[in-house]
Amino acid sequence: MDLVLLLQRIFDALFNSAIYSSLALALVIIFRSTGLLNFAQGEMATFTAYIAFVLLAGPQPRLTGGGLAGLIPGVPFTVPLAIVGAVLCGMAAGAATERALIRPLGGASDLALVNITIGLLLATNSLMAQWWGTGPRIFPAIFPSGAGQHFTILGARLRYSTVGVWIVLLSVLILLILLLRHTRVGLAFRAVSISPSNAELVGVRVGPTLMYGWAMASGFGALAACLSANSVLLEPNMMLRVLVYAFAAATLGGLDSPKGALVGGLIIGLSQTLIPAYVPFIGFELSVLPALLAMVLILLIRPAGLYGTKRIERV
Amino acid sequence: MFERQHRVSRLSVAGIVLLSVALAIIPFVATTTGLRQASQIIISVLAVLGVNVATGYGGMISLGHGVFVGVGAFATGYYLDDLSLPWLVAIALGALTAALSGALVGLPALRIKGIHLALVTLGMAIVFQPLSKRFPKITGGVSGQGVEARFDAPNWWPGDSRMASAVYRYLFCVLIVVLALWVTWNIVNSRFGRSMRALRDNDTAAAIYGIDLVSARVTTFAVSAGLAGLCGALQVLLVPFVSQDKFPAQESLVIYASAVVGGLGTIWGPVLGVLARTGVGKAGDLIAGFDGLGPIGDFFSLLDESAFVFGVGLIALTFFFPRGLAGIGRKRQPSE
Repeated sequence: MDLVLLLQRIFDALFNSAIYSSLALALVIIFRSTGLLNFAQGEMATFTAYIAFVLLAGPQPRLTGGGLAGLIPGVPFTVPLAIVGAVLCGMAAGAATERALIRPLGGASDLALVNITIGLLLATNSLMAQWWGTGPRIFPAIFPSGAGQHFTILGARLRYSTVGVWIVLLSVLILLILLLRHTRVGLAFRAVSISPSNAELVGVRVGPTLMYGWAMASGFGALAACLSANSVLLEPNMMLRVLVYAFAAATLGGLDSPKGALVGGLIIGLSQTLIPAYVPFIGFELSVLPALLAMVLILLIRPAGLYGTKRIERV
Repeated sequence: MFERQHRVSRLSVAGIVLLSVALAIIPFVATTTGLRQASQIIISVLAVLGVNVATGYGGMISLGHGVFVGVGAFATGYYLDDLSLPWLVAIALGALTAALSGALVGLPALRIKGIHLALVTLGMAIVFQPLSKRFPKITGGVSGQGVEARFDAPNWWPGDSRMASAVYRYLFCVLIVVLALWVTWNIVNSRFGRSMRALRDNDTAAAIYGIDLVSARVTTFAVSAGLAGLCGALQVLLVPFVSQDKFPAQESLVIYASAVVGGLGTIWGPVLGVLARTGVGKAGDLIAGFDGLGPIGDFFSLLDESAFVFGVGLIALTFFFPRGLAGIGRKRQPSE
């Protein structure tokens, strides 16, 4: 086995790992606090990537297709500013979703929650296709990603963009940990995650706290979409497959464990690049199959994943 | 809760009469193309019925029934062309193949429940397209392939024009769908159907009452996938062409949405769901056809996208009519 090639593949995989970790984190934050899997997370994230795109490109008639999106005032932003704007929009959308669609249901059945998130997925997906068209668009790179822009370590190339994505992800994570550990909102969120009813009894306002949780999660989702839009091309179905990887990552790590999401994202990202490289049948396009199989196996054998809490079923 | 479903209400009698009249008139007024489209709409009831059996009666959320439609279509094409089997055998085997693949999915569903099963089936729906591109001999790869065999009217059928054949195919599809509805109705009201619903409501209690969870879950999923596969097989009969691009993940989700919108756990739900999907699409076509509406027209052209309307419909119905269109007239609240 060519060791330099292996190292190169691992370096290449790290970029995707960061994206999966960050989307998995979004899923975990919501599952941990609300107990629901947000199937619409990927589509909501893609939508924010389009917002960043509109912020950057301005309301060109060809871009907006003359639809309602033409009403959004476009300011020529620099790329990072546009992404910050998109993340803020994503957070607002996440909070609004919790307030308008999830809270009024008040802990309804799994079926109702699945219906809501699948409804959101379908509606957002076709809304994007209608407004911006299904054709892929080139999203500008946030980090220098030209031909020669990489570190060389042991003969393998580590691209600046990979390093940049990890720096962004880790700094946002540190920010999140500080927020959870050292602020009142963070404390309230931890209390609600452990037990909503007990938190309510000691005076925590559960609803608004969950809303912050959804905002945080959607922020991570938006970040994942904006950072990956350059490498996978921006199109309405961009995050559909990424969602499977992210779910696989979250399941592997344990659906209620943020640490698990990070580790799961790393493992799934690595296996997505390494398995197709060494198993010819899988190929690049089918690399989502091992992720799905891994997810099924984990749910069958160890539903709590690596770091998740074991659930005890009471009769 | 086991509601008695044997009594037929006056409303459903009126509905059945209206529907039968409409079905009888269509062949006289439609063109060959229109008749084929009508047949395609009618057979799509089968896929939605499949979701209804798994999710509505069996309590297992399936977001991936488009996969079974696909398996049914590809398998039927294979049996017809590569094994040169006669049509009826190929259709039956196509549905059976889908049922077997459904049983395979039913096996993990023994342990994976609720929202996690929804996750796995959604993943399945997303993986199906790239996976089927990997078997070009059966699926025609990226661009799909034609099926040589044609389903033509037999000799005793009056007339041998293209129209006569189209009417024959139309009636064949209507017959199969009616039969499937009747068989499903009997299954859900049989002893097995009751154990299915007991599983949905409380599987532990069902097991204590002596219901074999393994066989009940696997059979439910197999029946439900078989219905979807039958839909796929009939698609080949109407349009002899199979291709992976008919089965994107969104199709699976719209099938699921149709089942919920129509009404889960009711026999007429799938019919209503498909009618709603068709009606919404036609309304969108009409409105988007007007010129000069500006951004409003653009907005209404969204109605053309059944995915958008069904997404919004799914959310709205969950809030206001949790039992779907079929449940609007009823007083009883859902027993979830």
